[in-house]
Amino acid sequence: MSMRSQVYEWANLSTTGNFMLRRGLNATAVAVPVDREISVFTGQYGNNITKPAETTATQFVVIEDLAASAYVGGAVQVVINTTSYFQNPDVTQQAGVPGTASPYPRGSSDSVTSSATGIVDNGVQLLNAFELTPDVYVLPGQVWDMRYSQRLSNDSTTNTALGVIGSTLAVAAFVKYTLYDGPDALIANKLLELGVTVNPNNVDWYKRTLIEQQSAAASAAAAAAAGGAQ
Amino acid sequence: MRSQVYEWDASRTNVSGTEMTNAQFGSALSIFVGGFGNNITKPAETTATQFCVIEDIAVTPSAFVFNSNIATTLSTYRGLPTCNAAGTSSGIAGPRAYVQIRINTTDYFLDPDNVGNDGVPGTASPYPRSVNFQPCFNLYPDVYVLPGQTWDVRVTAYQSNNYAAGDLVAGNLQCFVKYTLYDGPDALIANKLLEMGISVNPGNVDWYKRTLIQSQGM
Repeated sequence: MSMRSQVYEWANLSTTGNFMLRRGLNATAVAVPVDREISVFTGQYGNNITKPAETTATQFVVIEDLAASAYVGGAVQVVINTTSYFQNPDVTQQAGVPGTASPYPRGSSDSVTSSATGIVDNGVQLLNAFELTPDVYVLPGQVWDMRYSQRLSNDSTTNTALGVIGSTLAVAAFVKYTLYDGPDALIANKLLELGVTVNPNNVDWYKRTLIEQQSAAASAAAAAAAGGAQ
Repeated sequence: MRSQVYEWDASRTNVSGTEMTNAQFGSALSIFVGGFGNNITKPAETTATQFCVIEDIAVTPSAFVFNSNIATTLSTYRGLPTCNAAGTSSGIAGPRAYVQIRINTTDYFLDPDNVGNDGVPGTASPYPRSVNFQPCFNLYPDVYVLPGQTWDVRVTAYQSNNYAAGDLVAGNLQCFVKYTLYDGPDALIANKLLEMGISVNPGNVDWYKRTLIQSQGM
């Protein structure tokens, strides 16, 4: 299992305070600051993990998809070490991929309000207008992060357009990546050097090429040995 | 070489004899032998002459909504329950369910800090799929279960307060697995493909057979 599909889902849901490790029963939505990038791993909002995401010397990560809630101007940014991946054309900071371009969940509405009779949305079923191609590579030894931000408050006390005062909107972000470990990470590095896209197919192709080369070399050595013996 | 599927519903009682209730939320339940919902008689395992490729997993989706819903009765959002009593919604409609694959004793999906996590969210890989809930996850590369290994699919759900006390009803929490079972000679070929670094799928198994036949001059 040295080449594995992985996922991580973050939501602003916590059972105690603003954040919690992993997940818990009946966690509730918490207010998230506006116009501030929140790490989905260690941002101290919603479900977190114990340490920042990083690759070891024998790991290679390929981020293949990311998505965020389409509500309240949600967006998601990828940060490698200290560099944000998505930039404005003038090379200034931006929030990243909007949730309306890569909605989570796919098919969700882009506007939802609470009312006296329940949850109401505008009936929109958003599809993704964005695909992460080419993929984002996290090389061995790098630290990476996914950061969620929102332009509007998810707390109806501040953002009255959300409906019933006192209700807080749950928002989420999602990342899908492939983790290459051990020999497959070495091959991923080699593919990168060769300028070949790192994906499971190409890693398999490189393995096959190695095997074919070794088989050819073994055959040639055997033929040479047979020729010398005559 | 056979395409196989398995569907689990928390409300059924085949083999297990017990429907899932709110009390099981928060725990990872095997969909095969977890003791709740429809089960089978023994854990899923491959024999020495079998090779299994898990190609898709999915579980009931959830939607992100408000943590305070003043509805006076059980309300729903896009077909998913949002609270079981007035004002008790947490911000999720549906079960907030995740599905994990376990091979022998190892969880397949990990958090970035290398700790086994709950697995794939139903929101990312929904079952059933609908216009409201579409997948943004596909299980690629596939998961291989080698001969002699035991495998399991485990569902964890967290939002018990969206459901009325008592047993879950049909469709409240479901899980689906699609896999291909290679048996006998096809399992041997699958192993060979794995050694060669070639993806195990029906097309490549057929390709290997054709190559063998051609090499024999037939």
